Amino acid sequence: MFVKKKSVWLFLLPGLLLLMVFYVVPLVGGVRYSLTDGSYKNVFVGMANYRSLWKNAMFLTGLRNTMELSLICAPLLWVLSFLLASALMAVKPYGGFARSAVLLPYLAPSSAMLLAWLVLFDFGGPVNRLCVALGFSRVMWLESGALRLPIVLMFLWKNLGFCTIIFLSALQTIPHPLYEYATLEGAGFLRQAVTITLPLVTPSAFLVFVLAWINAFKIFKEVYFIAGAYPDESVYTLQNYMNNMFEKLNYQDVTAAAYSFAVIVMAIFAVLFFAQRRAVRDLS
Amino acid sequence: MHKAHKRHIAPRLLLAAFAALLLLPVVMTALYSFFSPEEIRAFMETRGSYNASAFMEIKLAPDMFSLSQYYNILIEDMTILRYFVNSAMYAAAILLLQALVVPMTAYALSRFRFRGRDAIFFVILLLMLLPFQVTMVPNVLTLRALGLIDTVWAIILPMAIAPFYIFLLRQYMIGLPAEMFEAAQIDGAGTGRCFLYVALPVCRPVLGAAAALSFADCWNLVEQPLTYLTTRKELYPLSVVFNQLTQKSTGVEFAGAALYMLPALLIYLFFQSDILEGVQLTELK
Repeated sequence: MFVKKKSVWLFLLPGLLLLMVFYVVPLVGGVRYSLTDGSYKNVFVGMANYRSLWKNAMFLTGLRNTMELSLICAPLLWVLSFLLASALMAVKPYGGFARSAVLLPYLAPSSAMLLAWLVLFDFGGPVNRLCVALGFSRVMWLESGALRLPIVLMFLWKNLGFCTIIFLSALQTIPHPLYEYATLEGAGFLRQAVTITLPLVTPSAFLVFVLAWINAFKIFKEVYFIAGAYPDESVYTLQNYMNNMFEKLNYQDVTAAAYSFAVIVMAIFAVLFFAQRRAVRDLS
Repeated sequence: MHKAHKRHIAPRLLLAAFAALLLLPVVMTALYSFFSPEEIRAFMETRGSYNASAFMEIKLAPDMFSLSQYYNILIEDMTILRYFVNSAMYAAAILLLQALVVPMTAYALSRFRFRGRDAIFFVILLLMLLPFQVTMVPNVLTLRALGLIDTVWAIILPMAIAPFYIFLLRQYMIGLPAEMFEAAQIDGAGTGRCFLYVALPVCRPVLGAAAALSFADCWNLVEQPLTYLTTRKELYPLSVVFNQLTQKSTGVEFAGAALYMLPALLIYLFFQSDILEGVQLTELK
Protein backbone atom coordinates (compact mmCIF):
# COMPACT_ATOMS: atom_id res chain seq x y z
CA MET A 1 0.00 0.00 0.00
CA PHE A 2 1.47 3.35 -1.01
CA VAL A 3 0.85 6.00 1.59
CA LYS A 4 1.17 9.76 1.10
CA LYS A 5 2.13 9.57 -2.54
CA LYS A 6 1.02 12.60 -4.51
CA SER A 7 1.35 10.59 -7.73
CA VAL A 8 -1.94 8.85 -6.93
CA TRP A 9 -3.78 11.85 -8.33
CA LEU A 10 -1.98 11.38 -11.63
CA PHE A 11 -3.37 7.86 -11.88
CA LEU A 12 -6.80 9.04 -10.83
CA LEU A 13 -6.96 12.09 -13.06
CA PRO A 14 -8.44 10.68 -16.29
CA GLY A 15 -10.95 8.46 -14.51
CA LEU A 16 -11.98 11.08 -12.04
CA LEU A 17 -12.37 13.68 -14.76
CA LEU A 18 -14.68 11.47 -16.83
CA LEU A 19 -16.56 10.40 -13.72
CA MET A 20 -17.17 14.00 -12.70
CA VAL A 21 -18.04 15.35 -16.16
CA PHE A 22 -20.33 12.57 -17.33
CA TYR A 23 -21.83 11.26 -14.13
CA VAL A 24 -21.48 13.01 -10.81
CA VAL A 25 -21.88 16.68 -11.75
CA PRO A 26 -24.83 16.22 -14.15
CA LEU A 27 -26.46 13.71 -11.80
CA VAL A 28 -26.54 16.37 -9.10
CA GLY A 29 -27.18 19.24 -11.53
CA GLY A 30 -30.02 17.36 -13.20
CA VAL A 31 -32.15 17.54 -10.07
CA ARG A 32 -32.94 21.10 -11.15
CA TYR A 33 -34.71 19.82 -14.29
CA SER A 34 -36.91 17.50 -12.33
CA LEU A 35 -38.03 20.35 -10.07
CA THR A 36 -38.81 23.01 -12.70
CA ASP A 37 -41.52 23.23 -15.31
CA GLY A 38 -39.36 23.42 -18.44
CA SER A 39 -40.85 26.66 -19.76
CA TYR A 40 -38.46 29.42 -20.75
CA LYS A 41 -38.85 31.02 -17.33
CA ASN A 42 -38.08 27.70 -15.67
CA VAL A 43 -40.39 28.17 -12.74
CA PHE A 44 -39.68 26.08 -9.66
CA VAL A 45 -42.56 23.65 -9.24
CA GLY A 46 -41.39 21.44 -6.39
CA MET A 47 -42.53 17.85 -6.61
CA ALA A 48 -45.19 18.48 -9.26
CA ASN A 49 -43.22 16.65 -11.99
CA TYR A 50 -42.90 13.60 -9.78
CA ARG A 51 -46.58 13.68 -8.87
CA SER A 52 -47.70 13.82 -12.50
CA LEU A 53 -45.13 11.18 -13.46
CA TRP A 54 -46.47 8.73 -10.91
CA LYS A 55 -49.93 9.18 -12.41
CA ASN A 56 -48.68 8.71 -15.98
CA ALA A 57 -50.00 5.43 -17.35
CA MET A 58 -47.09 4.81 -19.73
CA PHE A 59 -44.49 5.35 -17.02
CA LEU A 60 -46.31 3.02 -14.68
CA THR A 61 -46.64 0.37 -17.39
CA GLY A 62 -42.94 0.65 -18.17
CA LEU A 63 -41.98 0.49 -14.52
CA ARG A 64 -44.23 -2.48 -13.84
CA ASN A 65 -42.98 -4.41 -16.86
CA THR A 66 -39.35 -3.70 -16.03
CA MET A 67 -39.92 -4.89 -12.48
CA GLU A 68 -41.86 -7.97 -13.55
CA LEU A 69 -39.37 -8.98 -16.23
CA SER A 70 -36.44 -8.51 -13.87
CA LEU A 71 -38.23 -10.50 -11.17
CA ILE A 72 -38.72 -13.32 -13.66
CA CYS A 73 -35.19 -13.18 -15.04
CA ALA A 74 -32.99 -12.59 -12.00
CA PRO A 75 -34.14 -15.52 -9.81
CA LEU A 76 -34.19 -17.87 -12.82
CA LEU A 77 -30.70 -16.80 -13.76
CA TRP A 78 -29.53 -17.23 -10.19
CA VAL A 79 -30.91 -20.70 -9.67
CA LEU A 80 -29.94 -21.98 -13.11
CA SER A 81 -26.39 -20.70 -12.87
CA PHE A 82 -25.95 -22.23 -9.42
CA LEU A 83 -27.22 -25.61 -10.63
CA LEU A 84 -25.04 -25.41 -13.69
CA ALA A 85 -21.95 -24.47 -11.69
CA SER A 86 -22.58 -27.31 -9.24
CA ALA A 87 -23.05 -29.77 -12.09
CA LEU A 88 -19.85 -28.56 -13.76
CA MET A 89 -18.01 -28.92 -10.45
CA ALA A 90 -19.37 -32.43 -9.96
CA VAL A 91 -18.25 -33.79 -13.31
CA LYS A 92 -14.76 -32.33 -13.12
CA PRO A 93 -12.31 -32.92 -14.81
CA TYR A 94 -14.81 -33.47 -17.63
CA GLY A 95 -17.31 -30.93 -18.84
CA GLY A 96 -14.86 -28.61 -20.59
CA PHE A 97 -17.07 -28.50 -23.67
CA ALA A 98 -20.15 -27.63 -21.64
CA ARG A 99 -18.26 -24.89 -19.79
CA SER A 100 -17.11 -23.34 -23.04
CA ALA A 101 -20.56 -23.58 -24.56
CA VAL A 102 -22.21 -21.96 -21.55
CA LEU A 103 -19.91 -18.96 -21.57
CA LEU A 104 -19.92 -18.44 -25.33
CA PRO A 105 -23.29 -16.62 -25.54
CA TYR A 106 -22.03 -13.93 -23.19
CA LEU A 107 -19.46 -12.96 -25.80
CA ALA A 108 -21.64 -13.58 -28.86
CA PRO A 109 -23.69 -10.55 -29.93
CA SER A 110 -27.34 -11.28 -29.26
CA SER A 111 -28.22 -8.84 -32.05
CA ALA A 112 -26.92 -11.37 -34.57
CA MET A 113 -28.98 -14.11 -32.91
CA LEU A 114 -32.20 -12.28 -33.60
CA LEU A 115 -32.67 -14.09 -36.93
CA ALA A 116 -32.39 -17.51 -35.35
CA TRP A 117 -34.88 -16.45 -32.67
CA LEU A 118 -37.40 -15.19 -35.21
CA VAL A 119 -37.24 -18.48 -37.08
CA LEU A 120 -37.35 -20.65 -33.95
CA PHE A 121 -40.34 -18.86 -32.45
CA ASP A 122 -42.32 -18.33 -35.62
CA PHE A 123 -45.91 -19.58 -35.62
CA GLY A 124 -44.83 -22.38 -37.94
CA GLY A 125 -41.36 -22.67 -36.43
CA PRO A 126 -39.53 -25.45 -34.58
CA VAL A 127 -40.67 -24.39 -31.09
CA ASN A 128 -44.29 -24.71 -32.10
CA ARG A 129 -43.56 -28.04 -33.77
CA LEU A 130 -42.27 -29.17 -30.41
CA CYS A 131 -45.40 -27.83 -28.70
CA VAL A 132 -47.61 -29.77 -31.08
CA ALA A 133 -45.48 -32.91 -30.73
CA LEU A 134 -45.89 -32.67 -26.95
CA GLY A 135 -49.63 -32.40 -27.36
CA PHE A 136 -50.10 -28.68 -26.75
CA SER A 137 -51.60 -26.24 -29.17
CA ARG A 138 -49.52 -23.71 -31.04
CA VAL A 139 -48.74 -20.34 -29.48
CA MET A 140 -48.18 -17.02 -31.24
CA TRP A 141 -44.84 -16.36 -29.58
CA LEU A 142 -44.14 -13.13 -31.41
CA GLU A 143 -47.42 -11.44 -30.54
CA SER A 144 -48.71 -9.74 -27.39
CA GLY A 145 -48.33 -11.46 -24.01
CA ALA A 146 -46.45 -14.53 -25.23
CA LEU A 147 -43.63 -12.24 -26.38
CA ARG A 148 -42.23 -12.38 -22.90
CA LEU A 149 -41.05 -15.96 -23.29
CA PRO A 150 -38.67 -15.48 -26.25
CA ILE A 151 -37.43 -12.25 -24.65
CA VAL A 152 -36.73 -13.89 -21.30
CA LEU A 153 -35.10 -16.87 -22.99
CA MET A 154 -32.83 -14.63 -25.03
CA PHE A 155 -31.83 -12.79 -21.86
CA LEU A 156 -31.11 -16.05 -20.03
CA TRP A 157 -29.23 -17.44 -23.00
CA LYS A 158 -26.99 -14.40 -23.01
CA ASN A 159 -26.36 -13.98 -19.28
CA LEU A 160 -26.26 -17.51 -17.95
CA GLY A 161 -22.57 -18.08 -18.63
CA PHE A 162 -21.26 -15.11 -16.72
CA CYS A 163 -23.18 -15.92 -13.54
CA THR A 164 -22.12 -19.54 -13.84
CA ILE A 165 -18.43 -18.72 -13.89
CA ILE A 166 -18.72 -16.49 -10.83
CA PHE A 167 -20.37 -19.38 -8.97
CA LEU A 168 -17.80 -21.74 -10.37
CA SER A 169 -14.89 -19.66 -9.12
CA ALA A 170 -16.54 -19.46 -5.68
CA LEU A 171 -17.08 -23.22 -5.52
CA GLN A 172 -13.47 -23.80 -6.55
CA THR A 173 -12.13 -21.76 -3.65
CA ILE A 174 -13.68 -24.13 -1.11
CA PRO A 175 -10.77 -26.35 -0.06
CA HIS A 176 -11.50 -29.98 -0.80
CA PRO A 177 -9.99 -31.33 2.49
CA LEU A 178 -12.82 -29.57 4.29
CA TYR A 179 -15.26 -32.06 2.78
CA GLU A 180 -12.97 -35.02 3.41
CA TYR A 181 -12.64 -33.99 7.04
CA ALA A 182 -16.38 -33.59 7.36
CA THR A 183 -16.92 -37.04 5.84
CA LEU A 184 -14.49 -38.52 8.37
CA GLU A 185 -16.41 -36.81 11.15
CA GLY A 186 -19.53 -38.48 9.85
CA ALA A 187 -21.32 -35.53 8.25
CA GLY A 188 -23.61 -36.58 5.42
CA PHE A 189 -24.07 -34.89 2.07
CA LEU A 190 -26.86 -32.62 3.24
CA ARG A 191 -25.01 -31.64 6.40
CA GLN A 192 -21.95 -30.78 4.34
CA ALA A 193 -23.98 -28.70 1.92
CA VAL A 194 -25.52 -26.71 4.77
CA THR A 195 -22.47 -26.28 7.00
CA ILE A 196 -19.67 -25.98 4.44
CA THR A 197 -20.92 -25.02 0.98
CA LEU A 198 -23.69 -22.65 1.96
CA PRO A 199 -21.81 -20.29 4.32
CA LEU A 200 -18.79 -20.16 2.04
CA VAL A 201 -20.86 -19.48 -1.04
CA THR A 202 -23.24 -16.91 0.46
CA PRO A 203 -21.15 -13.79 -0.39
CA SER A 204 -20.75 -14.91 -4.00
CA ALA A 205 -24.36 -15.93 -4.20
CA PHE A 206 -25.29 -12.45 -3.09
CA LEU A 207 -22.94 -10.92 -5.65
CA VAL A 208 -24.39 -13.06 -8.44
CA PHE A 209 -27.91 -12.17 -7.41
CA VAL A 210 -27.09 -8.46 -7.45
CA LEU A 211 -25.31 -8.68 -10.81
CA ALA A 212 -28.15 -10.75 -12.25
CA TRP A 213 -30.67 -8.23 -11.05
CA ILE A 214 -28.68 -5.24 -12.32
CA ASN A 215 -28.56 -6.86 -15.73
CA ALA A 216 -32.21 -7.76 -15.60
CA PHE A 217 -33.16 -4.14 -14.91
CA LYS A 218 -31.44 -3.25 -18.14
CA ILE A 219 -33.61 -5.65 -20.11
CA PHE A 220 -34.36 -3.70 -23.24
CA LYS A 221 -32.02 -4.98 -25.94
CA GLU A 222 -33.94 -8.21 -26.14
CA VAL A 223 -37.23 -6.31 -26.28
CA TYR A 224 -35.91 -4.09 -29.04
CA PHE A 225 -34.57 -7.03 -31.04
CA ILE A 226 -37.66 -9.16 -30.86
CA ALA A 227 -40.49 -6.68 -30.50
CA GLY A 228 -39.05 -3.57 -32.18
CA ALA A 229 -38.81 0.05 -31.06
CA TYR A 230 -42.54 0.34 -30.36
CA PRO A 231 -43.36 -2.94 -28.65
CA ASP A 232 -46.57 -4.44 -27.39
CA GLU A 233 -47.78 -3.09 -24.06
CA SER A 234 -46.91 -6.34 -22.26
CA VAL A 235 -43.18 -5.78 -22.88
CA TYR A 236 -43.06 -1.98 -22.90
CA THR A 237 -40.15 -1.27 -20.55
CA LEU A 238 -38.97 1.77 -18.68
CA GLN A 239 -36.27 2.26 -21.30
CA ASN A 240 -38.96 2.58 -24.00
CA TYR A 241 -40.63 5.27 -21.94
CA MET A 242 -37.33 7.10 -21.45
CA ASN A 243 -36.58 6.94 -25.18
CA ASN A 244 -40.00 8.33 -26.06
CA MET A 245 -39.70 11.20 -23.59
CA PHE A 246 -36.17 11.86 -24.72
CA GLU A 247 -37.26 12.12 -28.34
CA LYS A 248 -39.87 14.66 -27.27
CA LEU A 249 -37.09 16.55 -25.41
CA ASN A 250 -39.16 16.24 -22.28
CA TYR A 251 -36.29 16.55 -19.80
CA GLN A 252 -38.61 17.08 -16.85
CA ASP A 253 -40.17 13.66 -17.13
CA VAL A 254 -36.91 11.95 -18.12
CA THR A 255 -35.06 13.23 -15.07
CA ALA A 256 -37.98 12.65 -12.71
CA ALA A 257 -38.32 9.07 -13.99
CA ALA A 258 -34.58 8.45 -13.69
CA TYR A 259 -34.39 9.72 -10.12
CA SER A 260 -37.50 7.81 -9.09
CA PHE A 261 -36.08 4.61 -10.53
CA ALA A 262 -32.66 5.26 -8.96
CA VAL A 263 -34.28 5.53 -5.55
CA ILE A 264 -36.17 2.28 -6.09
CA VAL A 265 -33.06 0.43 -7.25
CA MET A 266 -30.95 1.74 -4.37
CA ALA A 267 -33.62 0.79 -1.85
CA ILE A 268 -33.75 -2.74 -3.23
CA PHE A 269 -30.00 -3.15 -3.07
CA ALA A 270 -29.81 -1.70 0.44
CA VAL A 271 -32.36 -4.27 1.62
CA LEU A 272 -30.49 -7.07 -0.15
CA PHE A 273 -27.20 -5.92 1.33
CA PHE A 274 -28.47 -5.98 4.90
CA ALA A 275 -30.18 -9.31 4.32
CA GLN A 276 -26.89 -10.75 3.12
CA ARG A 277 -25.00 -9.43 6.16
CA ARG A 278 -27.48 -11.09 8.45
CA ALA A 279 -27.37 -14.32 6.48
CA VAL A 280 -23.56 -14.46 6.69
CA ARG A 281 -23.64 -13.76 10.42
CA ASP A 282 -26.32 -16.34 11.11
CA LEU A 283 -24.58 -19.04 9.12
CA SER A 284 -21.15 -18.56 10.65
CA MET B 1 -9.46 -46.06 -13.96
CA HIS B 2 -12.24 -47.76 -15.82
CA LYS B 3 -14.60 -46.92 -13.02
CA ALA B 4 -13.61 -43.25 -12.95
CA HIS B 5 -14.42 -43.06 -16.63
CA LYS B 6 -17.91 -44.35 -16.09
CA ARG B 7 -18.78 -41.99 -13.26
CA HIS B 8 -21.18 -39.12 -13.80
CA ILE B 9 -22.40 -40.44 -17.12
CA ALA B 10 -25.91 -39.07 -16.64
CA PRO B 11 -24.97 -35.52 -15.56
CA ARG B 12 -22.36 -35.36 -18.30
CA LEU B 13 -24.86 -36.33 -20.95
CA LEU B 14 -27.32 -33.82 -19.56
CA LEU B 15 -24.71 -31.07 -19.56
CA ALA B 16 -23.69 -31.89 -23.12
CA ALA B 17 -27.31 -31.79 -24.27
CA PHE B 18 -27.82 -28.45 -22.56
CA ALA B 19 -24.63 -27.10 -24.11
CA ALA B 20 -25.79 -28.20 -27.55
CA LEU B 21 -29.08 -26.41 -26.98
CA LEU B 22 -27.23 -23.20 -26.09
CA LEU B 23 -25.14 -23.45 -29.23
CA LEU B 24 -28.16 -24.07 -31.44
CA PRO B 25 -28.79 -20.43 -32.49
CA VAL B 26 -25.10 -19.90 -33.24
CA VAL B 27 -24.85 -23.03 -35.34
CA MET B 28 -28.12 -22.22 -37.08
CA THR B 29 -26.94 -18.75 -38.05
CA ALA B 30 -23.64 -20.08 -39.35
CA LEU B 31 -25.36 -22.86 -41.31
CA TYR B 32 -27.94 -20.59 -42.94
CA SER B 33 -25.23 -18.19 -44.06
CA PHE B 34 -24.16 -20.81 -46.62
CA PHE B 35 -27.57 -21.02 -48.26
CA SER B 36 -28.11 -19.14 -51.49
CA PRO B 37 -29.88 -15.76 -51.09
CA GLU B 38 -32.85 -16.98 -53.16
CA GLU B 39 -33.36 -19.96 -50.90
CA ILE B 40 -33.15 -17.80 -47.76
CA ARG B 41 -35.54 -15.24 -49.19
CA ALA B 42 -38.06 -17.95 -50.02
CA PHE B 43 -37.55 -19.53 -46.61
CA MET B 44 -37.92 -16.28 -44.68
CA GLU B 45 -41.08 -15.44 -46.59
CA THR B 46 -42.78 -18.47 -45.11
CA ARG B 47 -42.46 -16.78 -41.72
CA GLY B 48 -45.40 -15.00 -40.13
CA SER B 49 -48.06 -17.20 -41.68
CA TYR B 50 -50.80 -18.10 -39.25
CA ASN B 51 -51.97 -21.10 -41.21
CA ALA B 52 -52.48 -23.67 -38.48
CA SER B 53 -52.16 -26.65 -40.83
CA ALA B 54 -48.69 -25.85 -42.17
CA PHE B 55 -45.25 -25.55 -40.61
CA MET B 56 -42.14 -23.83 -41.80
CA GLU B 57 -39.68 -26.23 -43.28
CA ILE B 58 -36.82 -27.29 -41.05
CA LYS B 59 -33.80 -26.87 -43.23
CA LEU B 60 -30.77 -28.84 -42.19
CA ALA B 61 -28.75 -28.45 -45.36
CA PRO B 62 -28.80 -26.01 -48.27
CA ASP B 63 -30.10 -27.09 -51.70
CA MET B 64 -26.74 -26.02 -52.91
CA PHE B 65 -23.83 -24.87 -50.76
CA SER B 66 -23.18 -21.27 -51.72
CA LEU B 67 -21.00 -18.36 -50.73
CA SER B 68 -23.07 -15.85 -52.64
CA GLN B 69 -24.48 -14.30 -49.45
CA TYR B 70 -20.96 -13.41 -48.42
CA TYR B 71 -20.07 -12.31 -51.93
CA ASN B 72 -23.12 -10.10 -51.88
CA ILE B 73 -22.43 -8.27 -48.60
CA LEU B 74 -18.68 -8.04 -49.00
CA ILE B 75 -18.44 -6.99 -52.63
CA GLU B 76 -21.74 -6.16 -54.31
CA ASP B 77 -23.69 -4.17 -51.76
CA MET B 78 -21.65 -2.63 -48.99
CA THR B 79 -24.53 -1.42 -46.76
CA ILE B 80 -24.06 -4.11 -44.12
CA LEU B 81 -20.30 -3.78 -44.32
CA ARG B 82 -20.54 -0.06 -43.64
CA TYR B 83 -22.46 -0.65 -40.44
CA PHE B 84 -19.99 -3.36 -39.55
CA VAL B 85 -17.17 -0.83 -39.90
CA ASN B 86 -19.09 1.56 -37.62
CA SER B 87 -19.31 -1.17 -34.99
CA ALA B 88 -15.60 -1.87 -35.27
CA MET B 89 -14.83 1.84 -34.93
CA TYR B 90 -16.90 2.15 -31.74
CA ALA B 91 -15.42 -0.99 -30.23
CA ALA B 92 -11.86 0.07 -31.01
CA ALA B 93 -12.27 3.61 -29.70
CA ILE B 94 -14.04 2.57 -26.51
CA LEU B 95 -11.57 -0.20 -25.74
CA LEU B 96 -8.62 2.09 -26.34
CA LEU B 97 -9.94 4.73 -23.97
CA GLN B 98 -10.87 2.13 -21.38
CA ALA B 99 -7.37 0.69 -21.59
CA LEU B 100 -6.04 4.12 -20.66
CA VAL B 101 -8.53 4.92 -17.93
CA VAL B 102 -9.65 1.70 -16.25
CA PRO B 103 -6.35 0.08 -15.11
CA MET B 104 -4.97 3.36 -13.76
CA THR B 105 -8.12 4.06 -11.78
CA ALA B 106 -8.19 0.53 -10.41
CA TYR B 107 -4.52 0.79 -9.46
CA ALA B 108 -5.07 4.06 -7.61
CA LEU B 109 -8.05 2.63 -5.76
CA SER B 110 -6.33 -0.57 -4.73
CA ARG B 111 -2.65 0.10 -4.03
CA PHE B 112 -2.78 3.60 -2.52
CA ARG B 113 -4.07 4.93 0.73
CA PHE B 114 -5.33 8.46 0.46
CA ARG B 115 -8.16 10.62 1.66
CA GLY B 116 -11.34 10.21 -0.30
CA ARG B 117 -10.48 6.76 -1.67
CA ASP B 118 -13.47 5.07 -0.12
CA ALA B 119 -15.76 7.84 -1.27
CA ILE B 120 -14.59 7.48 -4.89
CA PHE B 121 -14.95 3.72 -4.74
CA PHE B 122 -18.42 4.08 -3.29
CA VAL B 123 -19.46 6.33 -6.19
CA ILE B 124 -18.11 3.77 -8.66
CA LEU B 125 -20.03 0.96 -6.96
CA LEU B 126 -23.15 3.09 -7.02
CA LEU B 127 -22.76 3.75 -10.74
CA MET B 128 -22.22 0.05 -11.31
CA LEU B 129 -25.53 -0.70 -9.62
CA LEU B 130 -27.54 1.93 -11.46
CA PRO B 131 -29.14 0.71 -14.67
CA PHE B 132 -28.71 2.51 -17.98
CA GLN B 133 -32.14 4.15 -17.74
CA VAL B 134 -30.74 6.17 -14.85
CA THR B 135 -27.17 6.85 -15.94
CA MET B 136 -28.20 7.92 -19.42
CA VAL B 137 -29.75 11.05 -17.95
CA PRO B 138 -26.54 12.64 -16.61
CA ASN B 139 -24.78 11.52 -19.79
CA VAL B 140 -27.35 13.23 -21.96
CA LEU B 141 -27.18 16.45 -19.96
CA THR B 142 -23.41 16.66 -20.37
CA LEU B 143 -23.45 15.59 -24.00
CA ARG B 144 -26.02 18.24 -24.77
CA ALA B 145 -24.06 20.92 -22.94
CA LEU B 146 -20.95 19.96 -24.91
CA GLY B 147 -22.89 19.75 -28.20
CA LEU B 148 -21.94 16.13 -28.75
CA ILE B 149 -25.40 14.61 -29.28
CA ASP B 150 -25.64 13.03 -32.73
CA THR B 151 -21.88 12.59 -33.01
CA VAL B 152 -19.84 9.43 -32.45
CA TRP B 153 -18.39 10.94 -29.27
CA ALA B 154 -21.77 10.67 -27.59
CA ILE B 155 -21.33 6.91 -27.62
CA ILE B 156 -17.61 6.71 -27.02
CA LEU B 157 -16.89 9.17 -24.22
CA PRO B 158 -19.41 8.11 -21.54
CA MET B 159 -18.35 4.49 -22.03
CA ALA B 160 -14.67 5.28 -21.51
CA ILE B 161 -15.23 4.98 -17.79
CA ALA B 162 -16.60 1.54 -17.07
CA PRO B 163 -17.50 1.12 -13.38
CA PHE B 164 -17.86 -2.65 -13.56
CA TYR B 165 -14.41 -3.22 -15.04
CA ILE B 166 -12.82 -0.83 -12.56
CA PHE B 167 -14.47 -2.91 -9.85
CA LEU B 168 -13.28 -6.17 -11.41
CA LEU B 169 -9.68 -4.98 -11.72
CA ARG B 170 -9.61 -3.40 -8.30
CA GLN B 171 -10.79 -6.61 -6.65
CA TYR B 172 -7.98 -8.47 -8.37
CA MET B 173 -5.29 -5.89 -7.61
CA ILE B 174 -6.24 -5.61 -3.96
CA GLY B 175 -5.42 -9.30 -3.57
CA LEU B 176 -1.87 -8.95 -4.88
CA PRO B 177 0.81 -9.53 -2.21
CA ALA B 178 2.37 -6.34 -0.82
CA GLU B 179 5.87 -7.90 -0.92
CA MET B 180 5.84 -7.74 -4.69
CA PHE B 181 5.54 -3.99 -4.64
CA GLU B 182 7.94 -3.59 -1.72
CA ALA B 183 10.61 -5.56 -3.57
CA ALA B 184 10.19 -3.33 -6.60
CA GLN B 185 10.42 -0.22 -4.43
CA ILE B 186 13.65 -1.44 -2.83
CA ASP B 187 15.02 -1.79 -6.34
CA GLY B 188 14.22 1.87 -6.83
CA ALA B 189 10.94 1.70 -8.70
CA GLY B 190 8.44 4.51 -8.14
CA THR B 191 4.67 4.22 -8.29
CA GLY B 192 4.72 4.54 -12.09
CA ARG B 193 7.21 1.76 -12.62
CA CYS B 194 5.40 -0.40 -10.11
CA PHE B 195 2.26 0.07 -12.19
CA LEU B 196 3.87 -0.69 -15.52
CA TYR B 197 6.26 -3.46 -14.57
CA VAL B 198 4.62 -5.12 -11.57
CA ALA B 199 0.87 -4.54 -11.46
CA LEU B 200 0.04 -4.76 -15.18
CA PRO B 201 1.99 -7.95 -16.00
CA VAL B 202 0.62 -9.74 -12.94
CA CYS B 203 -2.93 -8.70 -13.84
CA ARG B 204 -2.72 -10.16 -17.33
CA PRO B 205 -5.61 -12.64 -16.91
CA VAL B 206 -8.01 -10.10 -15.48
CA LEU B 207 -6.99 -7.51 -18.06
CA GLY B 208 -7.68 -10.05 -20.78
CA ALA B 209 -11.01 -10.94 -19.21
CA ALA B 210 -12.03 -7.29 -18.87
CA ALA B 211 -11.00 -6.53 -22.45
CA ALA B 212 -12.95 -9.49 -23.81
CA LEU B 213 -16.08 -8.79 -21.75
CA SER B 214 -15.94 -5.11 -22.57
CA PHE B 215 -15.60 -5.93 -26.24
CA ALA B 216 -18.75 -8.02 -25.94
CA ASP B 217 -20.58 -4.97 -24.52
CA CYS B 218 -19.33 -2.70 -27.30
CA TRP B 219 -20.21 -5.23 -29.97
CA ASN B 220 -23.78 -5.41 -28.77
CA LEU B 221 -24.51 -1.69 -28.35
CA VAL B 222 -28.19 -0.86 -28.59
CA GLU B 223 -29.38 1.64 -26.02
CA GLN B 224 -26.71 4.28 -26.59
CA PRO B 225 -27.00 4.61 -30.39
CA LEU B 226 -30.79 4.54 -30.20
CA THR B 227 -30.90 7.42 -27.73
CA TYR B 228 -27.88 9.49 -28.75
CA LEU B 229 -27.96 9.17 -32.54
CA THR B 230 -31.63 9.79 -33.27
CA THR B 231 -31.03 11.85 -36.42
CA ARG B 232 -27.79 10.28 -37.64
CA LYS B 233 -28.83 6.75 -38.51
CA GLU B 234 -25.85 6.32 -40.83
CA LEU B 235 -23.66 6.25 -37.72
CA TYR B 236 -25.49 3.27 -36.22
CA PRO B 237 -23.49 0.17 -35.39
CA LEU B 238 -24.62 -3.05 -37.04
CA SER B 239 -26.11 -4.37 -33.78
CA VAL B 240 -28.94 -1.80 -33.96
CA VAL B 241 -29.66 -2.36 -37.62
CA PHE B 242 -30.33 -6.10 -37.59
CA ASN B 243 -33.93 -5.77 -36.74
CA GLN B 244 -34.56 -3.41 -39.65
CA LEU B 245 -32.77 -5.86 -41.93
CA THR B 246 -35.22 -8.57 -41.01
CA GLN B 247 -38.35 -6.57 -41.77
CA LYS B 248 -38.01 -7.57 -45.40
CA SER B 249 -35.65 -10.38 -46.22
CA THR B 250 -32.89 -9.54 -48.66
CA GLY B 251 -31.57 -13.08 -48.48
CA VAL B 252 -28.18 -12.02 -47.16
CA GLU B 253 -29.01 -11.31 -43.53
CA PHE B 254 -27.65 -14.61 -42.21
CA ALA B 255 -24.23 -13.96 -43.72
CA GLY B 256 -24.32 -10.53 -42.08
CA ALA B 257 -25.14 -12.09 -38.74
CA ALA B 258 -22.48 -14.77 -39.14
CA LEU B 259 -19.91 -12.17 -40.08
CA TYR B 260 -20.89 -10.14 -37.04
CA MET B 261 -20.49 -13.18 -34.78
CA LEU B 262 -17.06 -14.03 -36.10
CA PRO B 263 -14.91 -11.41 -34.28
CA ALA B 264 -16.76 -12.14 -31.04
CA LEU B 265 -16.11 -15.86 -31.40
CA LEU B 266 -12.43 -15.33 -32.17
CA ILE B 267 -12.07 -13.07 -29.14
CA TYR B 268 -13.82 -15.67 -27.04
CA LEU B 269 -11.49 -18.44 -28.17
CA PHE B 270 -8.47 -16.28 -27.57
CA PHE B 271 -9.47 -15.01 -24.11
CA GLN B 272 -11.48 -17.94 -22.77
CA SER B 273 -8.89 -19.06 -20.24
CA ASP B 274 -8.33 -15.47 -19.11
CA ILE B 275 -12.03 -15.06 -18.42
CA LEU B 276 -12.20 -18.26 -16.40
CA GLU B 277 -9.10 -17.29 -14.46
CA GLY B 278 -9.60 -13.54 -14.19
CA VAL B 279 -13.20 -13.27 -13.07
CA GLN B 280 -12.59 -14.17 -9.45
CA LEU B 281 -15.29 -12.10 -7.87
CA THR B 282 -16.45 -13.25 -4.51
CA GLU B 283 -18.12 -10.34 -2.85
CA LEU B 284 -19.24 -6.77 -3.13
CA LYS B 285 -16.79 -4.98 -0.87
